[in-house]
Amino acid sequence: MNSALANPPVVKPKAISCPNCGGPVELRGFANTLSVVCPSCHSILDTSTPAVRILQQVQIAERIQPTIPLGSRGTFENTPYEAIGYQIRDTLGDEGDGWSEYVLFNPYKGFRYLAEYKGHWSYIRAQTAFAQPATKIGTRRQMALLGRVYKAFDSATAVTSYVLGEFPWRVKVGERVRVEDYIAPPHVLSGEITSNEAVWSVGEYYTGAQIWQAFKLPGAAPAASGIYLNQPSPYTGRVGSAWNLCLLFLVALAAMAFFFAVRAQDKQVFDHSYSFVPGSTGEASFVTDYFDVTGKTSNVQVKIDTDLDNSWIYLNLALINADTGQAFDFGREVSYYHGVDSDGSWSEGSTHSSVKVPGVPPGRYYLRVEPENDGTNSSRLPIRYDLELRRDVPTWSWYWIAAVLILIPPIFTTVRSASFETARWRESDFVPGHAALEDD
Amino acid sequence: MRNPFFLTYGLILLGLVGYAEYSGWSPTAVNQLRNVPKTIRDNPGAYRSQYGGFHRYIGGK
Repeated sequence: MNSALANPPVVKPKAISCPNCGGPVELRGFANTLSVVCPSCHSILDTSTPAVRILQQVQIAERIQPTIPLGSRGTFENTPYEAIGYQIRDTLGDEGDGWSEYVLFNPYKGFRYLAEYKGHWSYIRAQTAFAQPATKIGTRRQMALLGRVYKAFDSATAVTSYVLGEFPWRVKVGERVRVEDYIAPPHVLSGEITSNEAVWSVGEYYTGAQIWQAFKLPGAAPAASGIYLNQPSPYTGRVGSAWNLCLLFLVALAAMAFFFAVRAQDKQVFDHSYSFVPGSTGEASFVTDYFDVTGKTSNVQVKIDTDLDNSWIYLNLALINADTGQAFDFGREVSYYHGVDSDGSWSEGSTHSSVKVPGVPPGRYYLRVEPENDGTNSSRLPIRYDLELRRDVPTWSWYWIAAVLILIPPIFTTVRSASFETARWRESDFVPGHAALEDD
Repeated sequence: MRNPFFLTYGLILLGLVGYAEYSGWSPTAVNQLRNVPKTIRDNPGAYRSQYGGFHRYIGGK
């Protein structure tokens, strides 16, 4: 790197006298400065010719001190720049909600600009190339410059309301210019358009902390408010990444389901049919024959199938290990009703049910069964029911629950990203009813 | 990695599903009784289920 660029010598500013008040005026931009504001009387002086003349006399209500003091040096793109000019611009019709612009100067690199609005900053360089219209999105215009496509964001008439320091143009308070903003966060393409010319510049979003660090300003930068037009979304790239990861997890989940389904015994270890007469007296409970439950500790599925018809049965069940006396105690009600009324035919319940008993160690087991039905709501016909026990049955519900839980983070990220963009575009011309920057 | 939280979350979920499937674990574990006497086979009515009498009729429109 050129050592002169890396460590530029500190050059003493050129000094002139204000033709209005005689006060000293420093020119840090030398011949590049076309206008300068007298710090004493606030007259705007034309310095484009050796004979300095008054360009505009401005009555100011109050002196505004820029957040970055003029004369401060900050480093951008490894190049030091000095803040030499400051202006406040308002949107015509919305005065008082303006933004600040700083003129930065490096004798070797020329001028750069900083724009600040509610704690959001953009580092801007003017472009010699002209932006060209690009393919529209619906009726919304886009512009292309140096290979980047920008979406139309807003347009307005900017009015210069306050100036301080030096400018590479003949600045005037009250000066109006048409501005158009197109965005490709973190970049913004701004056009200043008059009847004679269009000047395009490209800005890049900076946080207040970055600006404070660049200028080595004391304290902390004021907190940014709201979401700015070219503020990069914290969700950029994260939405796609989250969905890709989600897809990977779902594939892994499907592979896991396949693996366990193939590996599962899903073996019938008991199957028997019984009948129960509702309202019958005597002991209803009974035990089954022994059956072997094999393999590692896993689940046992108990399937109940009945011939219920407008009736119910409650089965009090215990799966008892004949050797250890360990019992898994559970119950299931099965009910099935149907009929026809003024609304048409109806049905509720089911003739079958099932329950999975988890964590059943291998061993010799039997079932203790106690059927119940008080016989008050049905005929006293016997209820037939079949009990089937299957060992090591895949639990598909796990996969469905996991799939739903896996979908939550990408959906959440997508919603957050959409909310961020909605908040960004809420400040644009592209809210319902706005027609600016749209073609007819 | 743009989504370290999601990566961790997803891996934990897969791990839990794998563990649940492998071990037959369930959050809705049934009640267990220990040392049920062998005489239950001779007198099933002596068994005292924790669910006995908890059923209720819910059917019918």
